[in-house]
Amino acid sequence: MASVEFKHIEKIYPGNVHTVKDFNLKINDGEFIVFLGPSGCGKSTTLRMLAGLEDISGGEILINNKVVNDLEPIERDIAMVFQSYALYPHMSVYQNIAFALKLAGLSKSEIEEKVRPVADMLQLTPLLDRKPRALSGGQRQRVAMGRAMVRTPEVFLFDEPLSNLDAKLRNSMRTEIKTLHKKIKKTTIYVTHDQVEAMTLADRIVILRDGKVEQVGTPREIYHSPANKFVAGFIGSPAMNFIPVELAKDEGWHVDIAGQKLNLLGDVDDNQTDTKATLGIRPCDIHITPDLLTNPLVIKGTVENLELLGSTIQLTSRLGDSQITVEAPSSHMVNEDEVTNFYIDESRLHLFSDQTGLSMYKPNAVLE
Amino acid sequence: MSNEVTTIGKRSSTSSNQNVSRWFKKNNHGNRLLTLVLFLPPALLLFTIFVILPIGEAGYYSLFRWNGYGEPSQWVEFSNYVRLFKHGAFDTAVWNTFKIILISLVIQLPLALIIALSIYKKSWANSLFRLIFFLPYILAEVAAGLIWRFVFDGDYGVMARFTEALNTDTWYILADKNWAFVAILVVLVWKYFGFHMMIYIAALQGVPKDLIEASKLDGASRFQAIWYVKIPLIMSGITISIFFSILGALQTFDLIMPLTGGGPSNSTHTLVSYLYTFGITRMNVGFGSAVGVVLFICCVIFAFTYQSTIMKDKK
Repeated sequence: MASVEFKHIEKIYPGNVHTVKDFNLKINDGEFIVFLGPSGCGKSTTLRMLAGLEDISGGEILINNKVVNDLEPIERDIAMVFQSYALYPHMSVYQNIAFALKLAGLSKSEIEEKVRPVADMLQLTPLLDRKPRALSGGQRQRVAMGRAMVRTPEVFLFDEPLSNLDAKLRNSMRTEIKTLHKKIKKTTIYVTHDQVEAMTLADRIVILRDGKVEQVGTPREIYHSPANKFVAGFIGSPAMNFIPVELAKDEGWHVDIAGQKLNLLGDVDDNQTDTKATLGIRPCDIHITPDLLTNPLVIKGTVENLELLGSTIQLTSRLGDSQITVEAPSSHMVNEDEVTNFYIDESRLHLFSDQTGLSMYKPNAVLE
Repeated sequence: MSNEVTTIGKRSSTSSNQNVSRWFKKNNHGNRLLTLVLFLPPALLLFTIFVILPIGEAGYYSLFRWNGYGEPSQWVEFSNYVRLFKHGAFDTAVWNTFKIILISLVIQLPLALIIALSIYKKSWANSLFRLIFFLPYILAEVAAGLIWRFVFDGDYGVMARFTEALNTDTWYILADKNWAFVAILVVLVWKYFGFHMMIYIAALQGVPKDLIEASKLDGASRFQAIWYVKIPLIMSGITISIFFSILGALQTFDLIMPLTGGGPSNSTHTLVSYLYTFGITRMNVGFGSAVGVVLFICCVIFAFTYQSTIMKDKK
């Protein structure tokens, strides 16, 4: 059972390259945490600092409330699955899994006792005599997981473990990892740039950008209540629509979009005095609707481009000067160059300050 | 009747043609046979002209007493070989060649590996060390031999300063029958370890960083990571290096001549310097050819042993 805590972690490479900046996070025992962010955001570096593969430039890392900054990787009781799997090519599957146990000085029978159940659990028993080169990508991935599991470490680290697999295999391996975590209930930290992996696997997601934490939250929180414009744009596919607006107040707060007044029924953060803001709305929260002239949130627009994706259609149109993407069920019979009505779901609106990028609006009905 | 015979004859010739065409089709996957017919003769021709014929000629000349002028005429059967195997200097040359192989395998290659492991990572300091260690290899053998002859000089060389500092008798190491070959071995290790070091450095730089990190996480100490991960992964480099080192030992010549010329009392000859001294300079071409044949047989034995042992798994 292990908790992990990052306290003011910094990583500065020679040449003053500041990769991780004041990283703070407390991970509870048994939690599945995903570090998510674009390339170069510092997620792998943070993981590697925890593993002991990178020096820590500042701050403290604690495992079970014990500072591990100066401990060797093996003393930290962690196991890691690498993106490249890092299987020893000259060893068989059995030897790969057993290597850590051999180094720990266990007898042959003890090693056998530990390796067999892990191999059974990961369906590797028929492959134990094979060399890694004779395995498929998925099998190699499972061997890498077996090698991590056999040591029964306190913390599991995964560094983009599925990025070398094809889409189909990635889905099935994702499910396997999730099932495995449920079974062994060990603290797990998983690094990825794939938001689907993050959303499906994580108990909590940590979004990073340029070495800084942008938001920590459950997948629902991250998706429905993004803390800032970066998170809002990073999570969700297709990406959230952003429309520059001017915030004004008479009886209540409102914004103008394409000449239409849009009343904000939720709570606007009064502390942020910035009147220039960006309105955010996800493509799936803009609906194609019959002509309802009485509804102030219905805006007319021309369909500029339309793509049929099977169960849904994705179309682009314009609201004022901004191009927007709309995702709708494919049952809607709209065509390109056709003028149609878009209904904006006010309860799903987001508003971000142009000065700080932070979210400044909380709709009445927030899904969390 | 005669018609029947002709028909049978025709039939059998047709069936043999069919067999040939069937055999051709069976063995000519992807135009294999055509490739063989087109590409084998030039290689075979060159190999015959430059390897088979000279070796055959050497084998032929080794059966004559011949000074290299005119046609060999004095047929002596195997007496050159008998002389050779009875000659004490030849035994010394064989033993010295074996010593070079032994020292290469036991001292030179491990030394090269240790240094390679210390400086294979990319940094400016490591690049500098690599250059320094590789410099002796760049130097021409004869120049290196001359430099070391001055170093070992008991009157004016570094050795003279050394004996002076220790306040001992002057030591002419290259003239000392017991130590001259040790001095040569030192020079050989100095001259060639940089070459093997470079092979190992190239191989070590190809070892994926992930594997080393994985071994750290698995609990491997620095030595265990070298033993269990790095060395097995650079095995192809090591086998190549062993190959070059043995081949180099069998060919050692250019360093011997400027250092000792095979002396004192023929104690520092290798197979090739022995061949040169007793075969060429003394104009015993027949005898020299016999040495050449023995050297060739040694090389063939080595090549076959190497193929069937070290390279066995690489096929």
